[in-house]
Amino acid sequence: MFVSDLRNEFFNFLSGKRVIIISNIDIDSIAASKILQTLFRNENVIFSITPVIGLKALKRTFDDNKSDCNIFVLINCGGCIDLLDFLAPEEDTIFFLVDSHRPLDLCNIYSDSQVRILGDHRNEEDIPAFDQIFRDSDDSEASGDEQEENVEEDGGLGEDDDDNPDRDSSSIRRSETHLEKFERRLRRNREKRDWEKTRERVLFDYSQYSYYARSSALVLYELAWQMSKDTLDLLWWSIVGITEQLLLGKIESSTYTLETQKIQSHVSRLSNKINGKSSTAVRVTFENDLYLALYRHWSVKESLNNSIYSACRLKLWTLNGKKKLNELLVEMGLPLAQASQQFTSMDLLMKKDFYQMIERTAEKYNMPGIIYGSFTLQYGYRHRFAAADYVYSMIAMIEQIENERTAEYCFIEALESLSRVNKDLIESGIDKAKVLLDAIFKQVKTSLESNQIYSAGPFLYFIMQDENILFSSPYGLTLLAKFMLNAYVAVSKSRRARESPLIACIPIDITREICLLIGIPPIGDETKNFFGKAFEQAAVKSNAAIAQDFFDTNIIQIKQSDCAKFIDALTVLLSR
Amino acid sequence: MSGQRAFNLLKTHQQSSDRLIDNFNAEDLRAVIEEIKVAFSENHQDALKFQETRDKSLFPMIGYRHALLQRNLRCTLAYLYSRLMKLKDIRWKLGPVINADIKESLTEAEIQWFNNYSRLLTNYMMSFPNGFNIMTDMKPPKSLFIEVKCLCDYGKFELENGESVALQKNSIHFLPRTECEHLIRQGILEHITN
Repeated sequence: MFVSDLRNEFFNFLSGKRVIIISNIDIDSIAASKILQTLFRNENVIFSITPVIGLKALKRTFDDNKSDCNIFVLINCGGCIDLLDFLAPEEDTIFFLVDSHRPLDLCNIYSDSQVRILGDHRNEEDIPAFDQIFRDSDDSEASGDEQEENVEEDGGLGEDDDDNPDRDSSSIRRSETHLEKFERRLRRNREKRDWEKTRERVLFDYSQYSYYARSSALVLYELAWQMSKDTLDLLWWSIVGITEQLLLGKIESSTYTLETQKIQSHVSRLSNKINGKSSTAVRVTFENDLYLALYRHWSVKESLNNSIYSACRLKLWTLNGKKKLNELLVEMGLPLAQASQQFTSMDLLMKKDFYQMIERTAEKYNMPGIIYGSFTLQYGYRHRFAAADYVYSMIAMIEQIENERTAEYCFIEALESLSRVNKDLIESGIDKAKVLLDAIFKQVKTSLESNQIYSAGPFLYFIMQDENILFSSPYGLTLLAKFMLNAYVAVSKSRRARESPLIACIPIDITREICLLIGIPPIGDETKNFFGKAFEQAAVKSNAAIAQDFFDTNIIQIKQSDCAKFIDALTVLLSR
Repeated sequence: MSGQRAFNLLKTHQQSSDRLIDNFNAEDLRAVIEEIKVAFSENHQDALKFQETRDKSLFPMIGYRHALLQRNLRCTLAYLYSRLMKLKDIRWKLGPVINADIKESLTEAEIQWFNNYSRLLTNYMMSFPNGFNIMTDMKPPKSLFIEVKCLCDYGKFELENGESVALQKNSIHFLPRTECEHLIRQGILEHITN
């Protein structure tokens, strides 16, 4: 069921109780957990936070904790699976779900009171009506009919001793009712079959595409706002959450623009309280910013090289592209020496004019979309971060899964990096992000030069041979795939490439021969992803061993040997 | 005989600040006490001699010995007092039971003093209604609950109100301060400051 009055039905319900928060490991849920943590801390609600990376981890955590506590809050996990079926909880366990993945499983939506989804059901699109999906079983009716038959027969026999004509008429009545009953049963079966067919169709349509809705961090921020406990910090965290959705292509840019307008009103309301008394106070400003990754913490040249938008428009992995880049710099009036330095050590005048320079030359070089509205955080004299900087830094932190650093450890580190006292964590994250973006660019360059992207008809695919620690986690692979697709479309001559999705595969464990496979939709503002269902069906058809463990259904783990036949099956499936 | 032993006493006592309390320096103390006795007896003799001869030239020696005596006295008292203060610290840090290796560096009298002090402290704490334990919270706590991060897989942990918490590695919990204190001291939990 949906819970739209978050304050009373969610928060006030929880005060005085013990809560367990289970959170997915992605940036939106990190921001959301941080906000929830702060709210619970203020109310002295006892809680524990455990991060999980996939379905198996969710079950394990639930089993560990279910005897202690009966209220669970799930952030960005478990919305798309039947929770009651999967976890088999006790009768009195209550789940509060705040999930930006769609489509939500219908059993969760129509659950009576065990699964409560935070959000407004009017915001959800295309939820099938209850009657289309659920219906009481017909068996009781059928047996009731038979009983009626027996009763009538007995009644008829009971009058045996009496008049014969009566008996005759009752037997005639019996046969009539037999016929009617038979017809009725036929009709009912037909109706049932029709109903089941529509049900199949409705379910298929509903769960075909997977996409993302409102960021969970924003939902929780609004809860804080309703309780008048919102601060600039909380607002900044929800900004990070929604910027992540934009940067990874989870939401369309129009949705992003609408949400930013609402956020702007919050920003102006909260900033007015401070009134600009001191120049070192925390400030969040909304301004037109550039789609250049980390440009404030890097050199201009590197940043132009490694951002998807600029690199693909200028084709910076080719020789021509490099010449174009130099042309661009000349036209902007930025000397090469300055452009190769760190942004912070550029000439003051150049720094100030940088934005206008890009704006002027963007049209000519076919980069009109390089400007977008974004938020910037400023505190102290030295710390100025764009929301995208935070997102990249946290991605790099979560990404870096090595021997000691498990996924859960990275989650905790990213969680701590959100608080402003730990600014050195963000800065080290930015350094790691630079390494990651660099590696992505190099990989894209080598792959395009050696033509490693193949077309399999309805989609493009790209298989990497060597293990690379940087791309072995969902986020890294997603960024690589996006860059690859954009770059391929930019150089390819076929028109079909523009509408083709991409599948990327990389081995993550050579010893156990496991690969990570991801499918992303075609370029453009397309956010609906049909790969979740497609992977399931292709796996069944080709008998490949896959593990759809992650909460994002377009990422799976598959055995290396099954890769080829899986892709074949997928080709067949999608060509229809 | 020049107060050197007394100086030695104090020097060794101060230099052993890395251990909780060092061995009782019995020989130095005995030597110092010998010095005091010798000085006092010589002074006594000289005073009697002065009464007979009225020889003023005895004065400097007498004055010197007296000063020496007083200095030695002062040093020994400082030494003994400092040891007792260290014992008091031990009581607050480690509790009412001292383990064997500390016990062997204490004298009988010191052990007795420790036990008496311990008893005094407990009586004081008991004298409050409900037995108020002043040994927790050396610094005044800012809040009832604190946020802690779990550093290793501890398993289940029972809270006072009966509920149990599953302490898995890398999970964050928000628990009452009193219950987490000793786990923090053991290093299983880590306090998160924001």
